[in-house]
Amino acid sequence: MTTRPNGRTTVGKAIMTCADFQERLPELFETKADLSADEHLKTCENCAALVRDLEYIAQQAKLLLPIHDPSPAVWENIKSAIRNDPDTKGGSSNPSVPRPAGR
Amino acid sequence: MSAGQTEPKPANHQHLRRNPPILGEAEAIAAAQAGDERAFETLYALHKRRVYSLCLRMLGNVAAAEDLTQDAFLQLYRKIGTFRGDSAFSTWLHRLAVNVVLMHLRKKGLPQISLEEALEPSQDDGPRKDFGGRDLQLSGSIDRVTLERAIEDLPPGYRLVFVLHDVEGYEHNEIAEMLSCSIGNSKSQLHKARMKLRDLLRTGQRKENAV
Repeated sequence: MTTRPNGRTTVGKAIMTCADFQERLPELFETKADLSADEHLKTCENCAALVRDLEYIAQQAKLLLPIHDPSPAVWENIKSAIRNDPDTKGGSSNPSVPRPAGR
Repeated sequence: MSAGQTEPKPANHQHLRRNPPILGEAEAIAAAQAGDERAFETLYALHKRRVYSLCLRMLGNVAAAEDLTQDAFLQLYRKIGTFRGDSAFSTWLHRLAVNVVLMHLRKKGLPQISLEEALEPSQDDGPRKDFGGRDLQLSGSIDRVTLERAIEDLPPGYRLVFVLHDVEGYEHNEIAEMLSCSIGNSKSQLHKARMKLRDLLRTGQRKENAV
């Protein structure tokens, strides 16, 4: 493999451009391979930054825990639907579903 | 497939990490299956945050997320008798909630076009190839609130796949089954979603730096 200016790398006679690399990127991510060893990334700061950012976004997304709570009206409506529809006792039909006021 | 008909399997280790055993949950499930309303309220209290957060992230809309949280728990009330304990209760409930959201989205308009098309936002919404812009680096600079906002701004098709895969930990084969699309489509949408998120986050950073 040979490195050329402007982030182009060659594999045999083929030149790896940024477009080529980015075309392969979804597949490379899926293989969970260590991309730091990729020849193109060694010479192309632009694509290296892209890979770092995409990995960072995926990592941060995994850390997003459930933090939002529904308003108390949601439980009140569920309770009301369950109590007002005798068919739901024992649970097998469709309770009428009130919606929070103001919708 | 509805969550009541088939026991979903845990998606991966991330699901296991997010589904630790909850003290008192097993007793509450058994009591709720026997019709105890207080036990059902306990289950609601234990799981409302996770179900609502899922709905909110998938829909990007508070009112719709509350409506579907309500629908998900009403479905749970009807179907809890079918829970056999083959998987974690939270995994089972989570899948039920995903199905409720997907049903809602289909009712809202997805039936008119195939989901494959619906998952493909217009070119204007899509990410661009990145051939420039070394000026900014995201690493270490994005807080949770910023990321949550950027996810909200994703086109709906991208948001669905991103939330299901990167946030909730579902595998592509599971997402493909849920969304009735191909595995390749799910992978492609995920990549486009991450690229679009990068665009959104970098644009936000540029605006902040300009102030």
